[in-house]
Amino acid sequence: MGLASPAFAQQDSHEHDAAAAQGAGDASYPSLKIAGFGDVNFSATDKPEGPKGFSLGQFVLHMASELSPRVTFFGEVSLSARADAGTGTPAATGFNTEVERMIVRFDQSDRLKISFGRYHTPINYWNTAFHHGQWLQTTASRPEMIQFGGRFLPVHFIGALVEGSVPASGWNVGYKAGLGNGRSTVISRGGDAGDANGNRAWLVNGFSKPDRLYGLEFGGSLYGDTVTTAAAGDFGERIVSAHVAWSKEDPEIIAEVASVRHRKSGSSDVTWNHAYYIQAAYRLPAFNRWKPYYRFEHIGIGAGEVVFAAVPRLDGSTAGVRYDASPLAAIKGEVRSWTRGEGSVRNVGGFFQVCFTF
Amino acid sequence: MSTHMLRTVARTLVVFLLAGAVLVMAPRPALAQSGGGDIAVVVNADVPVDNLSLADLRRILLGDREFWPSGARVALLIRAPIARERDAAVRNVCQMSEAQFRQHWIAKVFRADAAKGPRIVYSNEMAIDQASRTPGAIAFVPAPVASRGVKVLKIDGKAPGQTGYMLR
Repeated sequence: MGLASPAFAQQDSHEHDAAAAQGAGDASYPSLKIAGFGDVNFSATDKPEGPKGFSLGQFVLHMASELSPRVTFFGEVSLSARADAGTGTPAATGFNTEVERMIVRFDQSDRLKISFGRYHTPINYWNTAFHHGQWLQTTASRPEMIQFGGRFLPVHFIGALVEGSVPASGWNVGYKAGLGNGRSTVISRGGDAGDANGNRAWLVNGFSKPDRLYGLEFGGSLYGDTVTTAAAGDFGERIVSAHVAWSKEDPEIIAEVASVRHRKSGSSDVTWNHAYYIQAAYRLPAFNRWKPYYRFEHIGIGAGEVVFAAVPRLDGSTAGVRYDASPLAAIKGEVRSWTRGEGSVRNVGGFFQVCFTF
Repeated sequence: MSTHMLRTVARTLVVFLLAGAVLVMAPRPALAQSGGGDIAVVVNADVPVDNLSLADLRRILLGDREFWPSGARVALLIRAPIARERDAAVRNVCQMSEAQFRQHWIAKVFRADAAKGPRIVYSNEMAIDQASRTPGAIAFVPAPVASRGVKVLKIDGKAPGQTGYMLR
């Protein structure tokens, strides 16, 4: 077992010297590697919403281990500062510990990989591209439609996933199909200890990364579940989403849209809720440590919606700049302006983040 | 914009600039060495492939293709940063900067798409030695290559030294 920093950050370490000198054919199992992400934030808003002043972001530990040539384990644990630390009986701890992901995967080939565990639900590009690593994402904040602890999209999924990819004449088509526990009765959480009802959640996801437009990815997803609420019973939930991402940084463009439909069991009444965002960034050629960005996002909640009754509406803009201070650390400063539905007062805030991987 | 809003933005700007002043002192990555000559793509002799398209080679370098047609897992060997062989692969095949290539692989592992990044080799001799002993291995070394246990792949039908060979 060895400890090492992220896959490619580790290359200067003496540990890697030793590992490489052993020869790739002499691999031993398990081969645990631990990496991590962290961030420190500062915020000042015109009207109170979210943390004020300095705040610690999530401290994230990521574990990856080969158990055999075709079996791998991935784990992700986060520690998040609690606003209610020291209150209650017994007193609340200073940080919440959460198992974010725990996945064991069996690789048959590029076309077929089967895994089991707790995932970030693969129906949203951002949710699976950046996870809890703030350093990986250009902006300081996630889009609110996929915010951690948010309710619009199910962030976590517990169950089994089949995935793979095929060249498809240069279209490089990938797929994921999953069956598992969807939302808990607290809809911001997954059903870690069991499903909230007798209906499993399912999902299918497809995407393409065409050779001819290297850097482009586009795809879509379908998700179905029955959501059990404490106050209003069961609702059928269907989610349709799509994304397009141009990952080169000259420019970088990410756009996603998701629509969530709820139907009360035994009723024909249907409500639709829609959210989308579009983000653009550009790494300046003459000052390539600097990357200005802008994002517009929207969350609309349907009239009469019950499951999302407490989900806040949003129309907001984020403009900022990222500065890569070193290959593994960045600072970001951004200004956000947003409203919470028709008639609400506009809020403005300034946000700053130092983020890193280790 | 109200005075309070202006103060809000100003406070954030001050914190941003202070942090920037500190972090700007961080060491900067070294530039890649320059040099000439083609870079050969070599694989373990048991790999049942003689030619790769540039797109296939890119997929291997980025970890999107993990298996050879025989079912053996690809073992990607690559020189440490600054080496010309690595720089050629990253810039010409992946069309990335070194920083982008690093970030790609950190993200790849963090996404649980791969359990580990490429294996680093510290010399071309080490690259050939490892490639000859490791099933499924692929490495980048200066051409010409004369060594038992590895074979040189054509890229888009062209061998190192031929006109139009793009890995140099």
